[in-house]
Amino acid sequence: MQLEQLLHQRPDLWRGRAGERSAPAGPSTGFAALDRALPWHGWPPASLSEILSTHQGAALALALPMLAAASRRSRWLVLVDPPCVPFAPALAARGLDLSRLLIVRAGADTAWAMEQALRSSACAVVLGWQGPEQEKRRQWPAGSLRRLQLAAAAGDALAILLRAPGAAAQPSPAALRLQVEAAGDAIDVTLLKQRGGRPGARIRVGSGLSPTGCSRSPG
Amino acid sequence: MDWLALHLPALSLEVHERGLAHPPPLAIAEHERLIACNGPARQWGVHPGLAQSAGRALLADLRILPRNVRAERAALERLAAWAMRFSDQVSLAPPRGLVLESARSLRLFGGAEALHALVGDGVRGLGYQVRCVLAPTPAGALVLAAAGADGPVPDLAALRPALGALPVAALGFERQAQGDLARMGLKRVADLLRLPRAGFAERFGIERLHQLERLLGERADPRRPFSPPERFRALLELPAEVPDAAALVFAGRRLIDELYGFLLARQAGVQHLGWTLSHADRAPTRFRLGAARPQRDPGRWLELLRERLERLRLPAPVRAISLASETLRPLAPADGELFPDHAAATEPDPALLDRLRARLGHAAVQGLALVRDHRPERAWRWCEGGQAARRGHEHDRAPGSVRADWPLWLLPAPVALPQRGNRPWLDGPLALGETCERIDTGWWDDAPVARDYYVATAASGERLWIYRDMHGGRGWFLHGIFGVAEEDPAANAVTGDFDQR
Repeated sequence: MQLEQLLHQRPDLWRGRAGERSAPAGPSTGFAALDRALPWHGWPPASLSEILSTHQGAALALALPMLAAASRRSRWLVLVDPPCVPFAPALAARGLDLSRLLIVRAGADTAWAMEQALRSSACAVVLGWQGPEQEKRRQWPAGSLRRLQLAAAAGDALAILLRAPGAAAQPSPAALRLQVEAAGDAIDVTLLKQRGGRPGARIRVGSGLSPTGCSRSPG
Repeated sequence: MDWLALHLPALSLEVHERGLAHPPPLAIAEHERLIACNGPARQWGVHPGLAQSAGRALLADLRILPRNVRAERAALERLAAWAMRFSDQVSLAPPRGLVLESARSLRLFGGAEALHALVGDGVRGLGYQVRCVLAPTPAGALVLAAAGADGPVPDLAALRPALGALPVAALGFERQAQGDLARMGLKRVADLLRLPRAGFAERFGIERLHQLERLLGERADPRRPFSPPERFRALLELPAEVPDAAALVFAGRRLIDELYGFLLARQAGVQHLGWTLSHADRAPTRFRLGAARPQRDPGRWLELLRERLERLRLPAPVRAISLASETLRPLAPADGELFPDHAAATEPDPALLDRLRARLGHAAVQGLALVRDHRPERAWRWCEGGQAARRGHEHDRAPGSVRADWPLWLLPAPVALPQRGNRPWLDGPLALGETCERIDTGWWDDAPVARDYYVATAASGERLWIYRDMHGGRGWFLHGIFGVAEEDPAANAVTGDFDQR
């Protein structure tokens, strides 16, 4: 950061990738290493992001610090078609205020429900998973991705789509695409695409889970 | 100009026709004769006065429906209820008229021209043709509107010549009396008004004289005020069966617009609407639309209806659509405000919730709450979205239900894992963590558990929550999926820019 400041003091210095600095700041991911690698120093605000992974645990964990921070503000978090029920005790333990959370089971209408929530301006973050229908086809039509991007901009909300890694082959209007793999108690994040930044970086975030002793519950 | 009369010249046709955006050629018959026909029928030369058979000869697929006096009366009453937003005294003038006491409305709505335009456009927006006349007497206004006039008559001095120019038939005397008048060479109302009053009463009855006097404002003309029903209820019959649910949106909009006027006049909203779609020979399709709070915004109700109709599978074509409101609820005048304050923001946006639930069903949108229980599957429950917030979540943050060492995902039911050499297996051997958590509880109810939970790492790198059942077969089960631990406590202090709006 100090180097950044020094460079800023030198107006005679021309720097490449100047657009990167002008990217609006977004909500922090909660992982310092990842924030540093992103032009928004966090999630791209009012945009669509994609997390590609087969590891549902790692994918949700990556979004969780941001969700927890958002839940302490005035708007809503909406999860559309999660593959199973997010476990409330663990979410609460990470600081997520459950009273701000809505879970929507939309079946074949995942994209529609996400768009409604995004456009309503009542939601800070809308996470959507490939519903069973889209899972079969293994892709979202490009048109519905574009609609999500527009809805996120209109409602000033984060849209995050959790998809299978195979989706990497399909072009997407998303501002950010991450591939996520679990690596024991860490997460490996590969930046597949970031608008206004360089793709390709691979970042390891997270650290060890503090082991718990064998505890016996009362009863 | 104390009275505003509305005349609905095509009411007998419109009670059938206005539910369709593109009605087929249609005629209404009474006593074997056509009394009204719509535009598409006129194009084929069909016109009122024809015998039914002559109409069919001109156009084989002309739909001829019998006049439905009951539907006309119901439509007139609904219009009266709708019109109460313009005046607190509305009277029916069957079969096709309404009259509003408008002295005060003139001031409220900005003069005769403005009121005339507002009422006329409003009624036309509901799917009716209408002529409106403002006049100093109710009877005069009604007769002028029925005779084809449209516009204001400023005072009694102007009313007399306006009425005088009408043919005698406009007064609606019986056939016998009309014949007598014609034989006497009295063709216009002006001719009647010139007759000596005493002689007129003797020849045609005192009641006719009183009628003339009421027209001119020389005799009191009390009108019974219409009192609106407690709830809104409307039936719209469709002239042709509609096979497609989406095409019913047009008819639904007509009813919702009427409902809006009804609610506006009462400063009320409704929270639930009951819809009934009638079929030819099977039980009707019924559904209910609900809103999170009382509503009257027609746009929002229409949106909810459209969502529902898009997903509705009709068992048969629809013949009629009806709407019944449930209990009216008072609505603050500041209806339609978006997020007025922070208190509202602690509940989910009702419009969003309503929209999602209208399409996906009520149970498809829920929140999560914690429960004090050591059994993972009982440590949480579904709740109404936003309810935890209202009760205050301190209660739910009870110790024992917030667990940092539990996984982010809990499977809906434990999945039995295969074993190889006494070790659990999932696409490869699972490496068990060193520590375990024993959960042995629930002996007092119907679902006791005794389990040793382990964190296991799969070959893929994923960390899983598995347990060994200590009760029965000592088998291994997969119960949850971990994410990753938070980087450090600072993650709790993440500052995002969520409030930039």
